[in-house]
Amino acid sequence: MKLRYSPTSPYVRKVAVAALETGLDGRIERIETDVWNPETDIAEDNPLGKVPALVTDEGMVLCDSPTICDYLDSLHDGPRLVPAEGPGRWQVLNLHALANGIMDAAVARVVEVRARPEDKRFDGWLQRQTLKIGRALDALESRAAAGGLDGPVTLGTITLGCALGYLDLRFSEDAWRDGRPALAAWYEAFSQRPSMQATVPPG
Amino acid sequence: MKLRFSTTSPYVRKVSVTAIELGLDGRIERVATNTMDPKSDHGADNPLGKVPALITDDGERLYDSPVICEYLDSLAEGPKLFPPAGAERWRALRRQALADGILDAAILRMLETRRRPEALRWDGWVRLQSGKIAKALDQLEREADGLDGPLTIGEIAVGCALGYLDFRFAEDGWRATRPQLAAWYDGFAKRPSMQQTVPREPA
Ligand SMILES: N[C@@H](CCC(=O)N[C@@H](CS)C(=O)NCC(=O)O)C(=O)O
Ligand SMILES: N[C@@H](CCC(=O)N[C@@H](CS)C(=O)NCC(=O)O)C(=O)O
Repeated sequence: MKLRYSPTSPYVRKVAVAALETGLDGRIERIETDVWNPETDIAEDNPLGKVPALVTDEGMVLCDSPTICDYLDSLHDGPRLVPAEGPGRWQVLNLHALANGIMDAAVARVVEVRARPEDKRFDGWLQRQTLKIGRALDALESRAAAGGLDGPVTLGTITLGCALGYLDLRFSEDAWRDGRPALAAWYEAFSQRPSMQATVPPG
Repeated sequence: MKLRFSTTSPYVRKVSVTAIELGLDGRIERVATNTMDPKSDHGADNPLGKVPALITDDGERLYDSPVICEYLDSLAEGPKLFPPAGAERWRALRRQALADGILDAAILRMLETRRRPEALRWDGWVRLQSGKIAKALDQLEREADGLDGPLTIGEIAVGCALGYLDFRFAEDGWRATRPQLAAWYDGFAKRPSMQQTVPREPA
């Protein structure tokens, strides 16, 4: 398999951590891709022009990290990152959606500043995204305090770990840990996993 | 179950079409939600502040249309809109991801041209998103004969994406260079589930 990646994308990191946790890492060849370079050839693999994109051994191209992770999860015999059925499946997918929403809002903030001319930036948009991140983190703090993040590693916790790591990378000034001790303690432990350590974005 | 909805959201439409196709529509109570209204209480159901959000009979809150649609699929008897692991599943999920990517780009373009203060609008952004939409549509045109198989979430998502382009960007004339996709959509749009969910501005 081939993975189009960028070293700072939190969605790519999710895929990379999932591959490490499921023992599939060795089967994935990596192609570094700068999607913001006007000359990029990413559209040949992903018409949406985004990373991650996975080209399977059969030549099928999967874009979108949830789809890629769903695919990877079907290739190994270990414990599944997303339970195949039952209430656990919806809990994991829901945690994934919440954490992924933090990524979406954080990436939107970064793009607003990096990809647009300075005089075309809109504070209202930045504030809206920041508010979403804050609300999602508050909901996660309650979950963490109730023990809802404990247990075996899942696609939900992987995505949350990558989302928090991305906030540290891009918005350390937001100090997301303030007022969220349970979530901070959870992340402190989770980020020690070898899969997280091996994928720390370059600062 | 309760569904937070808006009459213009194409992601909500995916959920509604799915529910109708599965015969579950009658079990869903609808709660109209304006996400742009700062006084709206929908943040309590989805900290990310988005529709669709589904509150299940067990009180679980699900969001993100792919998760909600797959949950509904798990409740219904009969042929699955999300096939089990295997080639058919990846085909369906891949198609959904492509269609959702079209929607993500179309929503960003709509926000740029309708919601952002006029002085802060930037044509470069509109071009970037329009380029993604066009390339993804070209890809769908190349695969159009594959759209006629058994119904999956992939075709539902493609149908809702094309319907949204007609709703917001009819002037693009996406059909002009994509005759096969246009022919497929012509048939698909006649399904009762599509007819009952045509987007419209709130009264
Ligand atoms: N929903 C996608 C999001 C991927 C995404 O937005 N990737 C960013 C990098 S962090 C990107 O490639 N952006 C380029 C662009 O939007 O043009 C996923 O989960 O994989
Ligand atoms: N990935 C989500 C996207 C949902 C979404 O973006 N919904 C829009 C309406 S079309 C929304 O609620 N936007 C309000 C906001 O982002 O604040 C899904 O598939 O459900």
